[in-house]
Amino acid sequence: MNLFRFALDNLYRRPARTMLTVSAIALGIAAVVALTSIAWGFEASWQRANDARGTDLIVTRMASENTMPSPFRAEQVQQVVSQLPHVQEVVGLLSEMLTVSQDAPPMFVFGWVHGSYLWEHLKLQEGRWPNKSNEQVVVIGTLAGEMLHKKVGDTVEIEGRIFPVVGIFESPALVENGALILTLDQAQQVTDKPGKVNVLNIKVDSDTGEADLARIKEQVKTSLPGFMAITSGELVSKNAVVRISKAMSNATILIAGLVGALVVFNTMLMSINERTREIGILLALGWQRATIMKLIVSEAMILSLVGGVLGILLGVGIAWGLEHIELMRGKIDAIFSVPFFFAVLGLSVVLGVSGGAYPAFKASRLLPSSALRQE
Amino acid sequence: MMDQTPLLRIKGLTLHFDEGRTKALNGVDLEVRAGEFVAIVGPSGSGKSSLLNVIGTLDQPSSGEISFRAQSYAELKDSSLFRRAHIGFVFQSFHLIPTLSALDNVIVATIGCDGATGEHRARATELLTQLGLRDRLGHFPGKLSGGERQRVAIARALINRPEMVLADEPTGSLDSANAAQVLDMLTGIVKQQGLTLIMVTHDASVSARADRIIHMRDGRIEHEVTA
Repeated sequence: MNLFRFALDNLYRRPARTMLTVSAIALGIAAVVALTSIAWGFEASWQRANDARGTDLIVTRMASENTMPSPFRAEQVQQVVSQLPHVQEVVGLLSEMLTVSQDAPPMFVFGWVHGSYLWEHLKLQEGRWPNKSNEQVVVIGTLAGEMLHKKVGDTVEIEGRIFPVVGIFESPALVENGALILTLDQAQQVTDKPGKVNVLNIKVDSDTGEADLARIKEQVKTSLPGFMAITSGELVSKNAVVRISKAMSNATILIAGLVGALVVFNTMLMSINERTREIGILLALGWQRATIMKLIVSEAMILSLVGGVLGILLGVGIAWGLEHIELMRGKIDAIFSVPFFFAVLGLSVVLGVSGGAYPAFKASRLLPSSALRQE
Repeated sequence: MMDQTPLLRIKGLTLHFDEGRTKALNGVDLEVRAGEFVAIVGPSGSGKSSLLNVIGTLDQPSSGEISFRAQSYAELKDSSLFRRAHIGFVFQSFHLIPTLSALDNVIVATIGCDGATGEHRARATELLTQLGLRDRLGHFPGKLSGGERQRVAIARALINRPEMVLADEPTGSLDSANAAQVLDMLTGIVKQQGLTLIMVTHDASVSARADRIIHMRDGRIEHEVTA
């Protein structure tokens, strides 16, 4: 028998109440885990796609807040950017979310400049790449192929046009694996945006340092009003969807924290009210007030830690489930990490301590004689 | 040979509740020697249990002086530590914790104390064995008879080696056979270990065993009888 065993025994006394409290905490923690991992995963997935392409800077409209910034005419901007020092290659990219099959949710369709460096990070699994910029063919990611039930030799219909699938590729980025890629010319035609791109990808030479990149950014800003050059990380973190999902995850942390602490507070307050006489006995036996506080806070922490662990498992399950529902496949890639799980357990500890502090204090201040008289 | 030095000194002790409207103790003077068995008797509401609570530091007196081995209660920094070091309580209604076994009900009094868990366990087992509960160690209070529960409470009172045992009607909830057995065991162990016993009782057969009987009425000591 020690303090921890005694705390466990006390919780076991009211199994239904203990289970309900743990469940409430677990649900809150699960919401935190699922939303946060998805928010981070969404951000990381786009970042990974941009990084994998080897893009150093991205030129986009200043007001764009989307992962697919609003399109603009590329020609003039591209000319200006190509003249800047250290710029090795400037290629346009057009992307759209389009319905390509009645049986599958909308999917990303990218248009990339034929023969540009953008294609280099993809691994062809089957078939071939487009042969020329005006060839009306499509290559699809492995996940997209799976979702559309398409293979090399099949066709897909994009905006009323039929495109033969000539290749299936694998990308390190989930968003590309779940996407279809056309040449930029074909993408501009099919989306009726001739000459337009969402972003210009810049590849700089190997001598370029941080200061040079900063200078390029400044030059784009001054020479191309309404445009800016940013890194892929900046583009992603500027993204409205990423910001909203992060804000939602932060709000969930706050709400789950408050609700969790209130649930623990309520449970522990009920518990000490029921056990007033027992606390009086412990005080009469010579338990110090600090030991009474330790007991109550230990009970609160056991509740919140068990809730935290179950919440992590449930949250991982929810995130996994969301990743695999048809509508979300290929679009989110939840990220989990050991430090994140420790942070969540830390949040659980905070819930336990903050929810148990006042009941513990109240219990420790009981007068032994009046507590013993309590029925 | 009983030590003649007063273990406990009480002078002009009062205990008032409800802003002075209820006077539970109204000027009590008492000295108790180490190793003495003192019975406190008197009608209900005479202040017996209130006196025991103040002696046990469960209640703070409104006025007066009380000291244990010349240490004034007013100077105690932590009354819990004092209780743990010097006092063992036995209550009329046992006050065992229902979710703990007999053995754990005794060990629970040692949580937060110095010493290894194994030592506390061994001493608890020894005490319960001495009180005839060797085969009841794992039983929960709900599965024990009234006499057995009170014996567990006695073991719990003794686990921290107190110098003074305060018993509030320890046989009040027991039938006469169990009461006699519990009383025999309590007084036997107390005597064997040389402890001081202050017992509140209504039962004349219990008080008859005491070295001294204190009669209380209206919060005062009316008279005392030495055996």
